[in-house]
Amino acid sequence: MGSLRGTGIAGDEAVQRGQLQVFSAGDRRVYDQAWQMSLLDEALADGFPAVRWSAEADTAWSVLPRALHADIEWATDDLCHTRPVSVLCQYPAALQETTMETVCAMHTDGLRGSLVRTSPIPGGMAIAGEVDGTNAGMVHSALAAQSAATTGGVTTFVVELSGLDFLDLAGARALVTGTAAHRAAGGVVCLRAARPPVDRLLRLLGVDRFDGFRVEGA
Amino acid sequence: MDQLSPIHGGHYSHDLLLHEGDDELLEGTRAFVEQGLASGGKVLVHGTPERVAMMRSSLDSHPRLDFGLDRDLYTSPSSTLFAYQRMLAESPEPVELWATGTVPLGDDPAGHPAWARYESAVNASLRPYAFHGLCTYDTRTLPAATIAAAKATHPCLSTGGRRTLSPDYQDPADFLANPVAAVPDPPVARPVAMATLGSPMDLSGARHLLKASAESSSALARDTIDAFVSAVNEVLVNGLEHGGTRVSLTVWAEMSRLTCLVTDTGPGNTDPLSGYGYPASAGPRGLWMARQLCEDIFISDQPGAGCRVLLTTV
Repeated sequence: MGSLRGTGIAGDEAVQRGQLQVFSAGDRRVYDQAWQMSLLDEALADGFPAVRWSAEADTAWSVLPRALHADIEWATDDLCHTRPVSVLCQYPAALQETTMETVCAMHTDGLRGSLVRTSPIPGGMAIAGEVDGTNAGMVHSALAAQSAATTGGVTTFVVELSGLDFLDLAGARALVTGTAAHRAAGGVVCLRAARPPVDRLLRLLGVDRFDGFRVEGA
Repeated sequence: MDQLSPIHGGHYSHDLLLHEGDDELLEGTRAFVEQGLASGGKVLVHGTPERVAMMRSSLDSHPRLDFGLDRDLYTSPSSTLFAYQRMLAESPEPVELWATGTVPLGDDPAGHPAWARYESAVNASLRPYAFHGLCTYDTRTLPAATIAAAKATHPCLSTGGRRTLSPDYQDPADFLANPVAAVPDPPVARPVAMATLGSPMDLSGARHLLKASAESSSALARDTIDAFVSAVNEVLVNGLEHGGTRVSLTVWAEMSRLTCLVTDTGPGNTDPLSGYGYPASAGPRGLWMARQLCEDIFISDQPGAGCRVLLTTV
C-alpha cells in the first residue's frame, strides 16, 4: 500500500469500496491456484467486469521452489488468455541471464520496463520506448525467448520498431545477440519500421548486412 | 632531402603536392593517375565542377578512372573520412584506391582547421588500407596557416615527380596540439543545461535533457539533434564504464551549433585518437560510432584528473 501513496491512486478508498485487496507476500494462500480462482469467481459474481492483479513476483522465490513458482507463472499466463484477468508480475531488472530468459518466456504478453515495453505481434515482437544498457539484457532475453518459440515452424521473426524512440550500441547488440540462435538455425529476423535515428544507427553498425537480418521500412 | 621510392601498391600513402600553377597541378595529377591505373587500382579525381571539367579534358578516360564532385563526396570532414574507411574496410574484395584533389576548404579561413584535422585523421583512420592520397594545395591562393597545416598532415611531399619526407609532418595525436589544428576550448558562454550522472540509470534523463535543450535553444534539424544525442550518449556510457563514479555533462547551444562537454573522474590517460580506427570484430565501437554521428570529438586528459570529451555538431 505504501507504494501507492503519492501516485494519485486512492488506495485506501478502493479498499473500503472492496475494489482493491492487498495481500502480503508471506500469505501462502496467494500461491494457491484454487484460492486465486475462488477470488476471481467471487469478484465476477459481485459484478466486477474483470480482475487485475500485480505482485512482486520474485518474493515468491523465498517462499516456493523455483519450479513450482514457474508452474504458477505458466498457469497464470494461461488464465490471462482464458478468463477476464490481467496480471502484471514485477521482477527486478538485474536478473541473471538464464533467469531473465525463463521469466521472459513465461510472460507471453510482453514486458514492461521503466523505459521499454515489448509485446507480441503476429510472427514476432514489438519493442517500444528506449533501449540502452540499463534494459538491453531484458530485451535480449525477450527476443531470445520469443524468437526461440517461433524457430520451429516460422522462419521469419519480425521485430517491429515503429515505437522505438531510442536505441544505443548496447541495445543494437541485444537485437543481434537476442536473435542469434534463431538466425543460426536458418531463421530470418526482419527489423521493421525503425524510425530514422534508429534506422541510421542499425545501418551505421552494419546490422542490415549481418547474416539473417533484413531491415525494412514500415 | 632523401628521395623516397615511388608509391608502393598495397600500402598506404598520403602525399602533398604544393603547386603554384595549373601546369604543375596537371603534371602531378597525371603522374599519380597513371601510376594508380598501372597498379590495377581504382582512381578517383575529385574537385569543384570547374576543376573536374579541367581534369576530364586533360586525362585519358579509363574504366577504372572516376571523377567526383566535392559537393557529393566531401560534404563534411567526418562523413568523408568514414565513407572512405568503410568503403576500404567493408568491401568484400580488397580495394586499392587512389584519390586526388583538394579538400573543399571554402572561402572562409575559419573553416580550414576542420579540414586540416581531417587530413591528419586520415593518417590514423586509413593507414591499414591500400589507400593512396595525393592532396593538391594551391600556394598562390591559400593562407600560410593552411599550407603549414598541410605540411604537418602529409607524411610525404611530391615535387616534380620526386617524393620526399615532409620535415614538418606530425603524428595525428601531436598535430592536435599544433595551433593550426585550432582544437576548440569549451565555450565561455553560459551553458543551457548541466547534469551529473552516477549510474547508467541516469542516461535516459541526460538524453532527454540534451534533446529538450537542443530543441528549445537551437534551430538544428531533428536528425542532427537525434544523431548528436546518440553520440553524446555513447560518450557518457564510456565515461560511466571507465571514468570513475561521476560523469558530468554540460550543454551549450547556439542557433546552428551544439557543444557538449563530458568529464569524468577516472584515471585519464586517454587516447585522443580513440574511435578513428575501424573497430575489430569484437572490439569496442562506441566512439567510432559517435564520431560518425557528430562533427567532431576532442578527447583529452583533464587538468587534474579524469578525461574530458568535447563534442560538436555540424
